[in-house]
Amino acid sequence: MNREIREAFFFILPLGIFVLLLMLLPVIGSFWISLWQDVSFLPRKFTGLGNYFRLFKDFQFWQSAGFTLIFSFASVTLEMVAGTIIALVLNESFRFRGIMRGTALLPWAIPSVIGARIWQLIYRYDYGLANYVLRGTSGLSVNWLGSSGGAFLSLVLADSWRTTPFVAIILLAGLQSVPQGLYEQAKIDGANLFQRFFKVTLPVIKPVVIVALIFRTIDALRVFDIIYVITGGGPGGFTTSVSLYSYKYFLLGDFGYGSTVSIFLFIIAFTVAFLYIRAGRFREAAL
Amino acid sequence: MKEERIKRILLTLGILFVIVFCLLPFAWMVAVSFSETPDFLIRGNYGFTIKNYLDILRLENLHFLDYLKNSLLVSGIVAIFSALIGALAAYAVSRLSFPGKVVIVLSVLALSMFPQISVVGYLYKFMSNIGWINTYNAMIFPYVAFSLPLAFWMLMSYFSQIPKEIDDAALVDGANRFQTLVRVILPITLPGFLSAILLLFMFSFNEFLFALMLTTDFRARTVPVGIALFQGLHGELPWGYIMAASAISSIPVILIALFFQRRIIQGLTRGAVKQ
Repeated sequence: MNREIREAFFFILPLGIFVLLLMLLPVIGSFWISLWQDVSFLPRKFTGLGNYFRLFKDFQFWQSAGFTLIFSFASVTLEMVAGTIIALVLNESFRFRGIMRGTALLPWAIPSVIGARIWQLIYRYDYGLANYVLRGTSGLSVNWLGSSGGAFLSLVLADSWRTTPFVAIILLAGLQSVPQGLYEQAKIDGANLFQRFFKVTLPVIKPVVIVALIFRTIDALRVFDIIYVITGGGPGGFTTSVSLYSYKYFLLGDFGYGSTVSIFLFIIAFTVAFLYIRAGRFREAAL
Repeated sequence: MKEERIKRILLTLGILFVIVFCLLPFAWMVAVSFSETPDFLIRGNYGFTIKNYLDILRLENLHFLDYLKNSLLVSGIVAIFSALIGALAAYAVSRLSFPGKVVIVLSVLALSMFPQISVVGYLYKFMSNIGWINTYNAMIFPYVAFSLPLAFWMLMSYFSQIPKEIDDAALVDGANRFQTLVRVILPITLPGFLSAILLLFMFSFNEFLFALMLTTDFRARTVPVGIALFQGLHGELPWGYIMAASAISSIPVILIALFFQRRIIQGLTRGAVKQ
């Protein structure tokens, strides 16, 4: 018994060291930095919670927090819908289904920066694909990246494209776990295709939907890569997510305030994660 | 039957949707990469060329091959280390009995949701102090840490499918726990272990924020950062180069996704679906 505990300790130790030194310690370090005035070329000065008071009065920060929230909500909603459709398709049996499943993974598999570059060019006002199609069908051109509404929509679409495959995969696994007998029973009871989806499929896969929802929400709240590439936070700072806002302060050399913003995001993400783990039935799943 | 027909039509539409949704942007990327000018849609003149590809492979001041080499090396090293370290921990949790197991498993799950931005400021200062900015090490160590939750969860789900009696047999024969893991469990779960390595490779290959903060030039810069910071001489973005570089860099992960889709899907969903 004692020996097993000792063995377990040594097996988990390497993971523990990495996590401690490169995840936990840096977060504590960031918190420590956030308690200082830490700007390049200025003397370091301990300010306690000073940066946090500044944060609460910082209009631009709240604007970016608001943007991040609305962006996450819109993008996760769209992904759940598109992901459900794709999962339903990939769950049917048809020729080349394996290749189709692989194909559906591609937007998620490539680096997010590459996806972002592709969409950035699609959205280009003069010769982008989006306006080409729009002009051809309706004669209109949209200023995708130059207007705040257009930029918001562009980012939501690009982000949904990249992450829908992930949602689809998780939901597909849920669909595969629905007992076929339930469908047969519903058919006998006279339920049609759509009734079967809403009355049988959805209730059974609900736990999986929640898992996908929360994983994606936390991920969306941290959004950085695609905004950095596609809009750089513009126009006029309108699409600056909290991560990007923090990064911009790092770039300016203001590590104290940048860390304060990042710690705020950390607390939000962790609260969501905590609620998730409490809500999910991971205790039994784990063992 | 009427319903069968509705279903057939919906399925056909669905398949079309998946194809257009997933592949159209890739088709656009490839089209631009083979065109003389990115504005071929309004010029009405496509002008097929492979010059963009030749240039990014030949012109040394673009450093694309450096970025690619850095990306492949860093991601490869991270994938292997992370899988090995994750395997040790996953073995302990799936095989040994010790107090605090649930806490460890749940903590690792929580760690997988860590926002990278919350550590990158500190890491930048730390790596500057020890002189690691713009080195592989600056990326390898944080990448291993941040990919460990994924490695741990995937491998734990593979290991827990193997009956414990197999371990007991090896232990009776005089092997210690480590030997049991390396000689018995890993060979049995080899396909799962390899697919974990591939997924971990993708994880690092795609990472952007750390690489952006912790590297400064072609000696360590990875593909995503290179592509994000690509600048033309006169302000106009060199779209042909960007798309050619994107197409080449996507090849490894596209191959992984197409050939190992079954294993990737399994690996990603094991944890999520178990109830």
